[in-house]
Amino acid sequence: MKSMKYTEILKSNRELKTQLRGEKYQIVLLSNIVVNQLKEVLEFALRQMGINADVSIGEYDNIVQDSSRYVQADAVVVFWEAGNLVEGLHSTITLYNSHSIVALADRFESEIEIVLKNLRHVPLVLVNSFSSLLFGTDELRSGALKLLCKRLNEALENRATPNQLIVDLTAILARVGLGAAADFRQFLTSKALYSVDFFKMYAEVVKGSFCSVTGRARKVLVLDCDNTLWAGILGEDGEEGIQMDTTSYKGRVFREVQQILKGFRRKGILLALCSKNNSEDVERILATHPDIVLAEEDLVAKKVNWNNKAANIRELADELNLGTDSFVFVDDSSFEIGLVEKELPQVKCIQVPEILSEYPAKMREVERDFFLLSQTAEDGLKTEQYHQEHLRKSHGVKFDTINDYLTSLGLNVNIIFGKGIPIHRVSQMTQKTNQFNLTTRRYTEGDIQRMLKTPDCWIYVFSVEDRYGDYGHTGMAIIEKEQDELHTARISSLLMSCRVIGRNVEYAFFDRLVERLSQAGIKTLRAEYIRTAKNEQVSLFYNELGFNVVTSNDTQSNYDIKLDTYQYRNISYINVTEKDN
Amino acid sequence: MNDHKKRIIGVMSAVFEIDSSEITEDAGPGTIGNWDSLGHMKLVVALEEEFDYRFPDEMVEQLISFKLIELTLKEALEIEK
Repeated sequence: MKSMKYTEILKSNRELKTQLRGEKYQIVLLSNIVVNQLKEVLEFALRQMGINADVSIGEYDNIVQDSSRYVQADAVVVFWEAGNLVEGLHSTITLYNSHSIVALADRFESEIEIVLKNLRHVPLVLVNSFSSLLFGTDELRSGALKLLCKRLNEALENRATPNQLIVDLTAILARVGLGAAADFRQFLTSKALYSVDFFKMYAEVVKGSFCSVTGRARKVLVLDCDNTLWAGILGEDGEEGIQMDTTSYKGRVFREVQQILKGFRRKGILLALCSKNNSEDVERILATHPDIVLAEEDLVAKKVNWNNKAANIRELADELNLGTDSFVFVDDSSFEIGLVEKELPQVKCIQVPEILSEYPAKMREVERDFFLLSQTAEDGLKTEQYHQEHLRKSHGVKFDTINDYLTSLGLNVNIIFGKGIPIHRVSQMTQKTNQFNLTTRRYTEGDIQRMLKTPDCWIYVFSVEDRYGDYGHTGMAIIEKEQDELHTARISSLLMSCRVIGRNVEYAFFDRLVERLSQAGIKTLRAEYIRTAKNEQVSLFYNELGFNVVTSNDTQSNYDIKLDTYQYRNISYINVTEKDN
Repeated sequence: MNDHKKRIIGVMSAVFEIDSSEITEDAGPGTIGNWDSLGHMKLVVALEEEFDYRFPDEMVEQLISFKLIELTLKEALEIEK
């Protein structure tokens, strides 16, 4: 977008608006300066990602009141400009005495508290950090505005909940350059401080958070090998000829890239190889090359062969049970990039830059596409979990029937409910799970906490383990009692991570769910399936369970069942335990 | 129509969300609905980007008709050459 002119953005944004279908994603922009130009720029950045964004702008300099008015928004962006906290503060603050500065800081600290509190249930809130960079020369000694900003930033850090992200304004200013980021002419005439270049960068930087809350975060980074992981071509230059060490210029670049990748893997990003090479050659490099940073266990899957790379990526998607739209592909060859872009336009393709020194920075930027609003300890374990999955699959081959195989796994499903459920993980599952998700409703931690306090709402979470390892918390259901009908409840969410698909644990879980609900006096259970682009595989889930179809159309099916007619599956090879926390 | 004019019209139609045919020689805030102060701000930014030229401070608020914009840009860009 950096290279797109503002005029082009305005035009394309309007075109995208007419193309995108589905519910609007409502973003409200609150500010004490004029930031209207961000509207189209942000809308465009998000609409390009398929988010049907609609940005509206709060009243000028009315952040506190507006924060209680827009609690229903899908997201709120707060541009609270330090230099205009009170009219003209950027210049008048030098005339304040220390008492009045403290009073000012106190006032805005409490305003910050109120605003963050008001917005705590909004699924995504972005608040800019306060910065004096545009108005000060604080390089050697901090001025009043900088000190004020420091205090207010601490207040932000202390008060922000996990769904409230603090956008590092100084980092964005630095990326754009101070001279290009501000337009003081517009500030003098219309209180508009920031340039369109600034807003383009801002949108670029924050869009990952919107992708995360709308389930669009990327999950897998697919890497070519030759001239992508190391300098040189393994098949031609040989093991000794390829470079990824610290003694050569090229080697240093590729070594750094591998280190970045290894860091990604620690954060839960899945790495895979897709390379035209002899697979034994690459195996050997991974296992024995003295300079290799990445190791076999860092990779979730490998396609080292001479096949079409788009076909390979499709296979990877199948193996990992993920959609190709959660893939990013890196290669040095324009041919391969072009091919994948053409065949799989939903895959984000990144070509290794010709100017090699730019390569590490480019790879670091990739991390934005993988941004997750809720990062959990389980993310770092993910590659291991997929590895266990691989072991399980190879194990699967030797059995005559799938049931024999599943029996051999020693599956354990542990159901937990009550106050002690892992709220963070629960919220994350609702945000990330796309395929086995019956209603695809996304919830923040705040939402989950509220539900827990509601007596008519039950949340059941399950974890799965087997002889190969622990998958962690991988599925859940939210059940709400119908308000005005006795003995009736509705499943408002039912989802399961793709990691545990194919083991019938969903049926074991559902059996227990029905048992629990019956014990709680529920006689009729309602359910719905809401179709998305990704959840086709569960479109008949409730039909299979014996629910009656009440209404059904292209986008949604509604079901109900009398619980006393429910046919328990009683799966013998799955052991189920329960824990009320 | 010269290239200059075409480009100005292109910018104005994108910024004000109107068809190029509605932008006449005497188009201004009085004839174009979206040409308010915010619209003006967008217009200035978009023109500056299109022509890779920065209007002098005092000029910004005076660019309130198609004719004025065209003249200003013409003069400015000729001097630059």
